[in-house]
Amino acid sequence: MQWTEKYRPGKFFDVRGQDLVIGKIKEFLKKFGKGKKAIILHGPPGTGKTALAYVAANETDSETFELNASDLRNKEKLREILKPATEQKSLTKKSKIILVDEVDGISGVDRGGLTELVRLIESSYYPLIITANDIWNKKFSELRRKTELIQLKEIDYRTIRDVMISILRRERKFIDNDTLTNIAIKARGDLRAAINDLQTAASLPDPSEILIGERNKEIDIFSALRIIFKGKPSNALLRIFDSVNKPIDEILLWVEENIPAEYSGEELAKAYDALSKVDIFKGRIYRQQYWRFLVYENAFLSYGISSSKKSEKTGFTSYKKPTRILKMWLNNRKIEKKKSIVKKYSKYVHVGEKRALKEFPTIKSFLLKPEIQKELKLSEEEIEYLNKN
Amino acid sequence: MIILLKPHNIYKLRRGYFIMVSEIWTEKYRPREFHEVVGQDDIVKRIKSLTDSLNIPHLLFAGPAGTGKSTLALIIVRELFGKNWRENYLELNASDERGINVVREKVKNFARTKSLGNVAFKIIFLDEADALTPEAQQALRRTMENYSATCRFILSCNYSSKIIDPIQSRCAIFRFKLLEKKDIEKVIRKIEEGEKLEIGPESVEMLYEGSEGDCRRCINILQSTASISPVISTELVSTVISSAKPKDIKIVLDYAISGDFQKSREKLLDVMLKESISGQDVIKAIQKEIWNLPVEPELKVKLTEKTGEAEFRIVEGSDPFIQLQSLLASFVLAGLGK
Repeated sequence: MQWTEKYRPGKFFDVRGQDLVIGKIKEFLKKFGKGKKAIILHGPPGTGKTALAYVAANETDSETFELNASDLRNKEKLREILKPATEQKSLTKKSKIILVDEVDGISGVDRGGLTELVRLIESSYYPLIITANDIWNKKFSELRRKTELIQLKEIDYRTIRDVMISILRRERKFIDNDTLTNIAIKARGDLRAAINDLQTAASLPDPSEILIGERNKEIDIFSALRIIFKGKPSNALLRIFDSVNKPIDEILLWVEENIPAEYSGEELAKAYDALSKVDIFKGRIYRQQYWRFLVYENAFLSYGISSSKKSEKTGFTSYKKPTRILKMWLNNRKIEKKKSIVKKYSKYVHVGEKRALKEFPTIKSFLLKPEIQKELKLSEEEIEYLNKN
Repeated sequence: MIILLKPHNIYKLRRGYFIMVSEIWTEKYRPREFHEVVGQDDIVKRIKSLTDSLNIPHLLFAGPAGTGKSTLALIIVRELFGKNWRENYLELNASDERGINVVREKVKNFARTKSLGNVAFKIIFLDEADALTPEAQQALRRTMENYSATCRFILSCNYSSKIIDPIQSRCAIFRFKLLEKKDIEKVIRKIEEGEKLEIGPESVEMLYEGSEGDCRRCINILQSTASISPVISTELVSTVISSAKPKDIKIVLDYAISGDFQKSREKLLDVMLKESISGQDVIKAIQKEIWNLPVEPELKVKLTEKTGEAEFRIVEGSDPFIQLQSLLASFVLAGLGK
C-alpha cells in the first residue's frame, strides 16, 4: 500500500505545518451560511490541499462528495452529477462537504464547466472546498470573486523530516538522518513527493541511492537562501541552484547581500571567505573559458556558505533583494557629468580615463578656471557640475 | 599668412609654427624637445639617435606613471613629422578602449592611408598596453605584423612582465625610472618661474613626497595649490594632498573593528562609488591603516597577510567589492580579538 494513502491525516491534529490554514478552514465551516459558500485551497503540489478537505469532512462528521480531474466536468456533467449533490436531501441527516479537486484542471473540453460551477456554488446547500495549484489565471476571475482564497505554502523541510521519522517509526524501519534530511530538502516543500521517496528509499538496500534521481522542481531564491543559511550542510545542497530559476551570477549577489543578515563574528568571516572563493573561480571561468570551474563556484556558494555556521539556525529572517547593482547604476548616472568632463580632459592631456578619474579630486580646483573650461570645451551642464561639487 | 587667434588661447611661435599654450600645467610644461626631458638621460639619448635616423623600430616603454613615457612618444612624432604630426599619430589607451576589436578597427582605419611627409610610416601610441588580456595581446601582435610596413607601434606599460614575450621580442624595450628629487625640483622651479610663484624648500620637499616620483601628480598638486594662492606654503600643499586622499577608509575600518559589519560595507560601497576609488586604492589605504589599529601586533600581521591576498586577487581580476567585504569580515573578527 502506498504510504501516502496509509498515512493520510485523519484529524486536523495530524496535519503538519499548515496551522494557519487549518484555522481558516475551521472558521469557514463554523460560519457556513453567513458568508461565501466555497473556499479555494491553492498552493504547490503535496502541501495537503486534498488531505485537508478530507480531514475537514472527518472532523465535522460529514460525508464527502468528490469530483476530480478524472471526471469529465463540462456543463452537462456538472448539472447531472454535482447539482443533485448540492441540493438538500431530507433523507440523510449527515452533513456533506463537496470537494472539487484540481479545479485548474478544468480544460477546454469541459465546455461551460466553470460558469456552471460558479452557479452551483451560489445555490449550494453545502460547503464546497475547491483545490488548485494556480488560481491566478484570468479564466478563474469569476470563481475567485465567489470564493474565499486560502493559500498553502510549501512545507518546511524540517517538518517534512519529522513526518518521515514518525512514519518510519510506525513502519519499524530505519534510515540515517543525513539521507532523511536530503530527501526532505530535495522534496522542496512537497510532502507527498517526500513520502513517496521515503517509501522507495526504505525498500532499497542502500536508502541513500534514492537521492540520485533528482526530482527537478523549481524553488524560489528565498527558499534556497533559507536552506543554505539555516540548514545543516548536506550533499543535496551541491545541486540546489540547479532548481533556482536565476543565473548563478545573480544568486551570488543574493548571497552576498544577505550573509550579514544571518551570520556574525566568526561565521561571518568564514562565509565571506567562502564567497570570496566563489568569486575567484568565477573569474577563472571567465578568463580561461574553462567551465569545469563552475563546480567549485557552485560548491563554495552552497555548501561552503552553509558550513560556515556552527549549528543550524532557527527563526525567520527576511532576505533582501541585492542592492549593489542598483546603487552602482544610480551612481553611474550621478557621476555621468564627471565622467564626461574627465573624458574631455583625459584626451587633452594624454592620459587614460581611469587615471584621470583618479586624479579628479586634485585637478577639480583648477578645472574651475574659466580659461581651462573654455580650453576643454566643457558644456554648460559640465561647468554647472563643477561649480556644484 | 593670417592666423585667427581665439581670444582665450595663447599661441606661441615655435620652430616655425604656432602652437597653442594650454592653461593646464601638465600640458603647458610638457617637454616638447628632447633636451627638456628630465630624469631619463640614457633613454633620451638613445631615442634621439633613433629618431634622427628617421627610422624607428616598434618601441616598448615600461615604467611607473608620470615618468615621461607619453611625453617621449609625443616628442618622437613631433621630431619625425613636424607640423603634420597630428595626421600621422594615433593615440589609444588600452584601459579605456573596450576590447581588442575596437583597437583593431581604429588601427586599420588609421593605417589605411599613407603617411604625409618624408617618413614612410605612421605612429600608433598604445598607452597602458598591460591592461590588455594575453589573448588581446596575441591579436595585437598580429595587427603589429600586418601593418608593419605602414605603422610603428609605441607601447607603454607599467610592468613589462605583463606584456607577452612575442610582443616584447618585436620591440626595443626602454625602462623608465621613477623621477628623483632633483628632477622633480627642476620641474617645480621651472613652473615657479613661469607662473611667478613663491615656493620654499620645505614645500618642494613636500611636493616631491606627495608626488611619489610621479611628475604629472606633482604638477597637478602644484597647480591645485596655486589656484588658492601663488605663495606655496607647506600648509597649503599638505591640505591639497590630504584632500585628494580617500580619508573615509578610516571610517570603514572603524565600523568593522567595532563589529558593525553592515555599516562598514555600506560606507565602503559609498566611498568607492562617490569618489570613483578603485578597489586597489582602497586596499592601499587599508594596508597603511592596519598599523594604527587598536589590535594586538600578531593580529596586525595576520590582517596584513589577508590584505595582501585580497590585493593579489583583485589584481588578478576578482570582483573588488566581494574581496573587500571578505577582508572587512576579517577585520570584524580582529575587533573581537580573534
